[in-house]
Amino acid sequence: MPTPSPARMHDVTVVSNEPIADGVYALVINAPKLAQTIKPGQFVNIAVPGNAMSLLRIPLSYASADAEAGTVEIWYAVVGDGTERLSQMKPGAKTDLLGPGGNGWTIPEGCRRALLVAGGIGVPPVLCLARELAARGIPYTVSIGAASKGCLVGEDEFEAAGAPVISVSTDDGSYGYHGFCTAAAEQVLELEGGEFDYVAACGPEPMMAKVAAAAAKAGVPCEVSLERMMSCGFGACSTCAVETTSGMKGACMCGPVFNAEEVVW
Amino acid sequence: MGKVSMAVDFAGIKLKNPINTAAGTFGQGWQFTNFMDVSELGAITTKGCAAEPWPGNPKPRMTEVPGGMMNSVGLQNPGVRAFAEESGPYLADLTDKGTAVICQVAGHSVEEYVAALELFDELCPWAAAFEINVSCPNISAGGAAMGSTPEGAAEVMRACRPVTKKPLLVKMAPVRLPEIARALEAEGADGLTVINSIPGMAIDVHTRRSKISRPTGGLSGPLLHPIAVRMVWEVCQAVDIPVCGVGGVMTGEDAAEFILAGATSVAVGMASFVDPAASVRILHELEEWAESQGVSSINELIGAFEC
Repeated sequence: MPTPSPARMHDVTVVSNEPIADGVYALVINAPKLAQTIKPGQFVNIAVPGNAMSLLRIPLSYASADAEAGTVEIWYAVVGDGTERLSQMKPGAKTDLLGPGGNGWTIPEGCRRALLVAGGIGVPPVLCLARELAARGIPYTVSIGAASKGCLVGEDEFEAAGAPVISVSTDDGSYGYHGFCTAAAEQVLELEGGEFDYVAACGPEPMMAKVAAAAAKAGVPCEVSLERMMSCGFGACSTCAVETTSGMKGACMCGPVFNAEEVVW
Repeated sequence: MGKVSMAVDFAGIKLKNPINTAAGTFGQGWQFTNFMDVSELGAITTKGCAAEPWPGNPKPRMTEVPGGMMNSVGLQNPGVRAFAEESGPYLADLTDKGTAVICQVAGHSVEEYVAALELFDELCPWAAAFEINVSCPNISAGGAAMGSTPEGAAEVMRACRPVTKKPLLVKMAPVRLPEIARALEAEGADGLTVINSIPGMAIDVHTRRSKISRPTGGLSGPLLHPIAVRMVWEVCQAVDIPVCGVGGVMTGEDAAEFILAGATSVAVGMASFVDPAASVRILHELEEWAESQGVSSINELIGAFEC
């Protein structure tokens, strides 16, 4: 039998749910078993009550897990009815989720240095990876970006995770470099590509495509975390397809983290 | 188990209960093993498969709509050979545990349906029956393009009938049902699965583009349940072969409506995405309902709708 998704059903309780930037919330949930098993780059598919006409779960990445406290922290952007309702959930509210789903990041054996690139709400899975790299003593460089200063997340957390250099950019120039976070990543890869053994990116798809191209040019292995509309999140519905060099693959089972060379952009 | 016998005879297949799963919503069954005991179900229907692999449609393949969802997967499948190799051992074991496995057959043309069915018949000896999908709304040839007229559906059935001795079911499009059902019965269909998803559209008014990769997709979910119940009732009046009711079943009572309308079995679809264990929950709820009706067998309730 092929291997089913690692996801299980978890009853969860909201611990806190607060805005951390314009339109971005940090949700902390109590989910002891999930907190012990989820790995950087995996996702959860959460039910958001409150609208009988809206049935499907919302797939979300996570920013951190605390196995001892039994909590998982999720950062999400309010982009539609479902995430709007999620933002209204108060501490003590109960729901359930399916997780952990999919495959996480795969840090190459013997990795000496990594380059992390994250745009907008693509920050959380990359932040998870940064903490994992820090725990393994692997140095890394970070380039993050957002549309504007108001919606930027992650700078403090990357710093707390020990990132020595954080390049910050905003599309409108309201903070950091005026432009995209890909610019710094492309520059670093062109000038010092040989020092890196791993590039990891999450953000808007055109951004990841640019990072993937720069990594390929520099000859550095690159992984990207992709987002898709998803019905089930555990390999049954075939809706979250990603076009790859070896055919269509489900983001929920074969991803959401993919080897960038495999992705047809 | 309760006092009511839930066993039914569906198209010559003995099912331990009427609950089945809708093709394309239950993978190949093994995806659900961590959430429920799949062998509690009367049957499962596996995702449509063609003789050769199909890539399916580009992204985005799905958008949520009020009361349901709309998909444009386009029957992505690995081909019958890979299907049988990957999932065959699990499905053979499921069959041994008393759950009938119905394999859905996809094609772009009469010849492709026949080719796929020949492979299924050869490579899937454990299969209880085959379901010909002449109603997928998301492919450019075959599917609903062939199954939306009595002549087209009959042509597929006529070509497929001699290929296997096993029961042949047909997944029907939500159009011209009574006349197409009669044509399929005349060509030797053993049972009918009513209905496939209903074609719909969802437009992003800001970008003026479709919310999925094609202009239209297939609607499913509770939004279409009353339509499906009506269509099942109409088909049951038109033909003598048994019907499996599909469309927006979220609870045991939804399943009970199909039974009362005349369906012998009921397939759970989108509910399995929302709650992977929905099909067994619905089975238990259906059983409770049957008990509440004071019957000794669920068969007494099939078609027991009173106007």
